[in-house]
Amino acid sequence: MKYMIETNTLGKKYGEKYSVKDLNLKVRPGCVYGFLGPNGAGKSTTMKMLLGLVKPTAGEIQMFGNEIHSRNRIEVLKRTGSLIEAPSCYGHLNGRENLEIVQTLKQVPREEIDEVLRIVRLEGQQKKKVREYSLGMKQRLGLAAALLGRPKLLLLDEPTNGLDPAGIQEMRELISDLPKHYGMTVMVSSHLLSEIDQMATDVGIIDRGKLIYQGSLRKLHEKAKGSIHIQVLNQTAAMRILEEHGESFTLENGMLVLKEREEVQVAELVALLAGHGAQVTGVSGQQKSLEDIFLTLTGKQVSL
Amino acid sequence: MWREWKTEWMKVRYRKIGLIVLAFLGMIILWVAWILSRNDMEQLQDGYELIFLNVPLIDTILLPTMIAMLGSRLCDAEVKGDTLKLLCTLEKRSRLFDMKLLTGASYLAVFVLLQAAQIFLTGRLYGFAGTAKPVWYVYFVLQVYTVSILILLLQVVLSFFFENQILPLAAGLLGSFVGLFSWFFPSGHPLKYLFLWAYYSELCFVRQDWDEITRISTFYDVPFPFPVWCLTLALLLAGYLAGKRLFLRKEI
Repeated sequence: MKYMIETNTLGKKYGEKYSVKDLNLKVRPGCVYGFLGPNGAGKSTTMKMLLGLVKPTAGEIQMFGNEIHSRNRIEVLKRTGSLIEAPSCYGHLNGRENLEIVQTLKQVPREEIDEVLRIVRLEGQQKKKVREYSLGMKQRLGLAAALLGRPKLLLLDEPTNGLDPAGIQEMRELISDLPKHYGMTVMVSSHLLSEIDQMATDVGIIDRGKLIYQGSLRKLHEKAKGSIHIQVLNQTAAMRILEEHGESFTLENGMLVLKEREEVQVAELVALLAGHGAQVTGVSGQQKSLEDIFLTLTGKQVSL
Repeated sequence: MWREWKTEWMKVRYRKIGLIVLAFLGMIILWVAWILSRNDMEQLQDGYELIFLNVPLIDTILLPTMIAMLGSRLCDAEVKGDTLKLLCTLEKRSRLFDMKLLTGASYLAVFVLLQAAQIFLTGRLYGFAGTAKPVWYVYFVLQVYTVSILILLLQVVLSFFFENQILPLAAGLLGSFVGLFSWFFPSGHPLKYLFLWAYYSELCFVRQDWDEITRISTFYDVPFPFPVWCLTLALLLAGYLAGKRLFLRKEI
């Protein structure tokens, strides 16, 4: 099995408007896949389609290498855990009783309840009615329910929404550790770039229902690497010299833009250009942040 | 199927549904006792007929509200707790819908059987002169249970679809009024077939004649209206299929 989740031209149309269009997701086993996008980009709709909560208008979904259809959906989903938007829980029952319902439906041993309660650090609160829980505790209970049965795949939609800073950090650490400690693949959505940056190994960026980037976070970081901008009076000479020395460059606002390099190499380059009459008047280094990359890709500001 | 069934009972813990059902039963017992206290022993010659007529009449007034509360109690936990998005990844939607109905139907079965027992015991306690044909108890259960399940189906669908449970409860109250009115219409009136709550009266197998001069009521039994009961079953089947289809198509 190459991918835990693979979608082929997945789409959802509400009326005449596409909420998600031609989505080709590829989630590798053992990764934390960050599903990033601004609010309303189609993240929740996509995740709901993966879980069969929303019926796709077009396309196919494969999970664990099996194509999902109405007959095998529940069998396949039994091997997954999910937490979509706000946590699902019965306020009139206590935390443990809530987990007992999920445990019965998932047909897993009752002892696992203690284990997941320990993982999400809710052992001390398990006898408390859920309506008395804080949002953070409910969110942890939702994660505990998702972890029951040790699923191979976890789908978490904005799991840190509404949590306080300490809760957010705790949840992020918990999620990042899951592949390492339990061999799980995690797909987590967020509109926060910094959050995905902290948790994910792979990333998919969705905007206006379309996937505009998919790949490893490392590659995205590489895209975010800086450049050096050189201003010269004799542009023709400078371009010729650079071409002769096999340097790739672009022209932006009358400046030569070259890839980032060590300071010594920058000095050598400036000396080379100056020595051949390019008349260098200015050199500056520019760093592109992930935020800039996101902005370039989506044309929208993203929350940090 | 058993695990889904089991989880429904786990969910209704502390919801005091049994208590609600018993409270309504208690109310009906008191109401019947009050009716009987207003009749002298001569009128109680027809005691069984009187009670087999009056209990469904009281049920028409009270049960739509009780069933609305029952449906709401069964479904609002899912709506309030936003649990459908979790449950629908763990069990088939169609089964979830069936289990909700089955749980409600179980409460109603206990309720109707207790009512049948109440009629039997009331007859013994008051020493009604006549006898109740055993088949009357069967007719009574068919009458009250079938219509109640039909109303439960409507209430479950409403409770699943409306986050604010006031609307399903209002539908229950409206049903009580419509049902009560239906008793004033003659048997077989076309209007009675348009409203679910009117089927309580339409399925009644005891009739009453009121003599204005002597001011005496006489009760008599008529054959159980099996064609109307079959129509109720057909409505139940159609309602079940439509309700389930709506639930299956609901996007979460």
